[in-house]
Amino acid sequence: MFDFSWVDFNLFEVTYDVVVFVVGITAVLAALGVILCSSPIYCALYLIGHMMCLALLFLLYHAEFIAAVQIIVYAGAVMILFLFIIALLGGKKEKQEFSFHKFMALGFVGILSAELMLSARVGKTQPVEGMFTPAKITEVGSAKAVGIELFSRHLVPFELASILLLVAAVGVICLAKFPLKPLRRRAR
Amino acid sequence: MGPHFILLISALIFSIGALGFVIRRNPLIMFMSVELMLNSVNFLLIGYSNELRSIDGQIFALVIMTVAAAEVVVGLAIILTIFRTRHDLDVDHLDVLKG
Repeated sequence: MFDFSWVDFNLFEVTYDVVVFVVGITAVLAALGVILCSSPIYCALYLIGHMMCLALLFLLYHAEFIAAVQIIVYAGAVMILFLFIIALLGGKKEKQEFSFHKFMALGFVGILSAELMLSARVGKTQPVEGMFTPAKITEVGSAKAVGIELFSRHLVPFELASILLLVAAVGVICLAKFPLKPLRRRAR
Repeated sequence: MGPHFILLISALIFSIGALGFVIRRNPLIMFMSVELMLNSVNFLLIGYSNELRSIDGQIFALVIMTVAAAEVVVGLAIILTIFRTRHDLDVDHLDVLKG
């Protein structure tokens, strides 16, 4: 009935770019909230928001499986662990005053950031074209595509990751098990 | 909205994480800053895996998540142990290695 083929822009692509931009900026702002809040509990909540934004970006970049893992592992397990520890230790507010050390840290991080931007502008990256186009990923499914690659070409890192998790579990049990004598308070 | 956006956002988040690690004195928030840095690398890998039509970046991101989970668990256990012995949660006061 209506022929829109003469319109030169694709509304979906424009909306996609706008959504990616807004979610990316929100992720950066949430990261700023993490390091600028005084109270640790608010920092943890900002970090959860940041991870949600990143999961959304992963979804927009056609990595559905990683987005689900991000929500479950990071925003679920790791942040619950953080909140437990904050509740256990008591989230005391931290006084934030401006000092010379912080000024130096700001300069250092500014230089680091400038270097990262410069390295982004050095040149074109190697134009690799893999086989996993979004259409192909939609066809086989993100989890299946990741699984096929993980269990065929990347089997050794997968097994090493399982060993790493085992070592971490044993280490945490060793840390938590042995009773520690409280230190005598020494005069400072 | 090409690879430059991915690089820009990732570099910003990484720098914010590095700044937080340096200027904060609460070890919990320092760990959160480390999480920020790891997350920025994850974002870079996923974005480029989409740009380059390869799925290796997603595998890398999965391994990084495993490392981050293990690191957080061990780090929080160490923080808890330090708190049990010293009753103090300020990294500036931790100036001796002996427990």
